[in-house]
Amino acid sequence: MSIFEYNGSAVVAMVGKNCFAIASDRRLGVQLQTVATDFQRAFKIHDKLYIGLSGLATDAQTLYQRLVFRHKLYQLREERDMKPQTFASLVSALLYEKRFGPYFCQPVIAGLGDNDEPFICTMDCLGAKELAKDFVVSGTASESLYGACESMYKPGMEPEELFETISQALLASVDRDCLSGWGGYVLLVTPTEVQERVLKGRMD
Amino acid sequence: MSRRGDWVYENNGGTCVAVAGADYCVVAADTRLSVGYSILTRDHSKICELADKCVLASSGFQGDIKALHKNLAARELLYQHQHNKRMSCPAMAQLLSNTLYYKRFFPYYAFNVLGGLDSEGKGCVFTYDAVGSYERTGYSAQGTGSSLIMPVLDNQLKSPSPLLLPARDAVTPLSELEAVDLVKDVFASATERDIYTGDKLEIVVINKAGTKREYIDLRKD
Repeated sequence: MSIFEYNGSAVVAMVGKNCFAIASDRRLGVQLQTVATDFQRAFKIHDKLYIGLSGLATDAQTLYQRLVFRHKLYQLREERDMKPQTFASLVSALLYEKRFGPYFCQPVIAGLGDNDEPFICTMDCLGAKELAKDFVVSGTASESLYGACESMYKPGMEPEELFETISQALLASVDRDCLSGWGGYVLLVTPTEVQERVLKGRMD
Repeated sequence: MSRRGDWVYENNGGTCVAVAGADYCVVAADTRLSVGYSILTRDHSKICELADKCVLASSGFQGDIKALHKNLAARELLYQHQHNKRMSCPAMAQLLSNTLYYKRFFPYYAFNVLGGLDSEGKGCVFTYDAVGSYERTGYSAQGTGSSLIMPVLDNQLKSPSPLLLPARDAVTPLSELEAVDLVKDVFASATERDIYTGDKLEIVVINKAGTKREYIDLRKD
């Protein structure tokens, strides 16, 4: 049994017109037992930068704490927020530091860069970055998410439509994965506001 | 890929889908045959018409699939000779299950989806695992692209939930044209992200008028 499948997770991020959305499931399990139904996997780094961490939950939390620490130091030194591209390189470097004893996490990074240009990327547990223009997925439900996003995504969606699309893709995918689910948590970020919604799906 | 000297199977990849409607059934499969990271051919059919209202699509190890299809076609011919009629889809479903379980301890590496019309003319789809466990459903996908396709079918086919009481048929209320369009769409999406799915899509539609076959090009990379 894979260490990546110990807790169960599903994370997805999508790009829209001058906005992005990042969504995750809410289940925390210990193999087949569900231990929490309100577990947070998508975290804020600053107002226009979010990271979702799938995989082993303890590593997701530790990595998040380390990243927030590094970003706060950056803010003190540079007196500004980190750009998403820079942050992605930071995450990649932190993961590669542990090349022969890695964090068992697959991050999904989403943010608004210069001129509020949406930026998304994902990486494997060793820090190999993969930029995408449309959507990125990770977690135990990743194959289902690939299929659902590929079918439902179209470029240049407005915020409302993007929210609907990412929610449907997430819920349809986690319903076919026994290790993820128990609802969804979606963050929709535009240059002016951030909307957080909790989705009710099949509670199993 | 196995280094053991006794590994007798290989996975030739590919995806099969079937969708049942009120008076039709759509069975579709891609035509790519692969081994490892290579393509053996872009033009290999995974679909076998076993009876006039019964079509089988299988993905997995093509050696076992060819043997399985030959076995079932022979049994259907025997049935025709003995009963003076062709086998119905539910009958073939049971036969396939028994044939697969017969080799429970040296299985056919075949992931099957059987589609057709039942004795009342309604669409039916039966989905199997490699050793013959089967279930009648409204739709199914099997093969390397199945995990990419199933969530989209769940979301788009508007079939009644299997949890509702009284139990009702899981056939989709969509029309034949809508179902075929959806199947083409899901294969296009699966082709993008699954390396073993692509080249061409073979779609077989069974309704009371008979059987129609259609070929659609898919991405070849």
